[in-house]
Amino acid sequence: MPEEKCAHTWEMINVAYGFVVTEKCYNCDKVSTYFTFEHRPPLEEYREGDHFWNVMESAQSFRFDLKCSKCSKVEKLDELMGLMMCTGCDDTCEVDSLRIILEPERTWIYVAFGFLPVEERKQLSKEKIAILEEYFNQRRKSLRSRIKIVSHESVKNIATCYGEVIKDLHMLSLTPLEEE
Amino acid sequence: MKIQEIIDKLNLNVLTNAEEREVEGVFISDMLSDVMTSAKAEEIWLTVQTHTNIVSAANLVDISAIIVTQGKKVSQATIDLANRYHVIILSSPKTTFALATELIGIGVKSQ
Repeated sequence: MPEEKCAHTWEMINVAYGFVVTEKCYNCDKVSTYFTFEHRPPLEEYREGDHFWNVMESAQSFRFDLKCSKCSKVEKLDELMGLMMCTGCDDTCEVDSLRIILEPERTWIYVAFGFLPVEERKQLSKEKIAILEEYFNQRRKSLRSRIKIVSHESVKNIATCYGEVIKDLHMLSLTPLEEE
Repeated sequence: MKIQEIIDKLNLNVLTNAEEREVEGVFISDMLSDVMTSAKAEEIWLTVQTHTNIVSAANLVDISAIIVTQGKKVSQATIDLANRYHVIILSSPKTTFALATELIGIGVKSQ
């Protein structure tokens, strides 16, 4: 079927596990993130031109692409670093405003993140975000809830955002502190 | 199978509000990455994880309910977030393996 006439049915392909590494230059305070397939995330600081990079954290993560099972179109999602559920922390934020509108309909807002620094890395296009949203809605079997995915560019201040980032990190304390 | 039937037959603790839902299979993992890649909608998810992040992962792929196994305590923050997003959290002192065996025993199968 020609791609342009296809009502795509997406499936996840090319799933590859690795780490999302966040590092900071102690010379200029720039923060950078990247995905690595190494079995152990790097710990060493290193120099790159004027930058002296130090690892801040590494989170287990994965990469994937989407493929239409009908027309075989493949959408590469190399620019996607992760997803975060908006839990509503700032009613002056565009994402929170959208959440307030959509939450009563049980439409949950997720923010798609690209890699840092934003101005130096290619970011997810609106078209790719729409495809990602379509994919997660297609995985649902009932209409009791829907997913809405927006760009991180819509978040007012990511540094103070309390959204729930889906990542395998800081989950080792299996019993709440107050219960120990 | 209905979620309430599973709660009753397996004597599960109900930690959140629990609306009626269908359960069409079981998913077992303690990695959120696995949930995002492999869990199917309307499955029941067995895990020892209790972090608030389990709510965002379960919601993304429309899990029917989470069963926290091995008697792990779930914080009030996780319960509150789950209630807000209609994610059902159940718990049991039994191991993940024991619960999985019991789920098979009452007729819940993998999709």
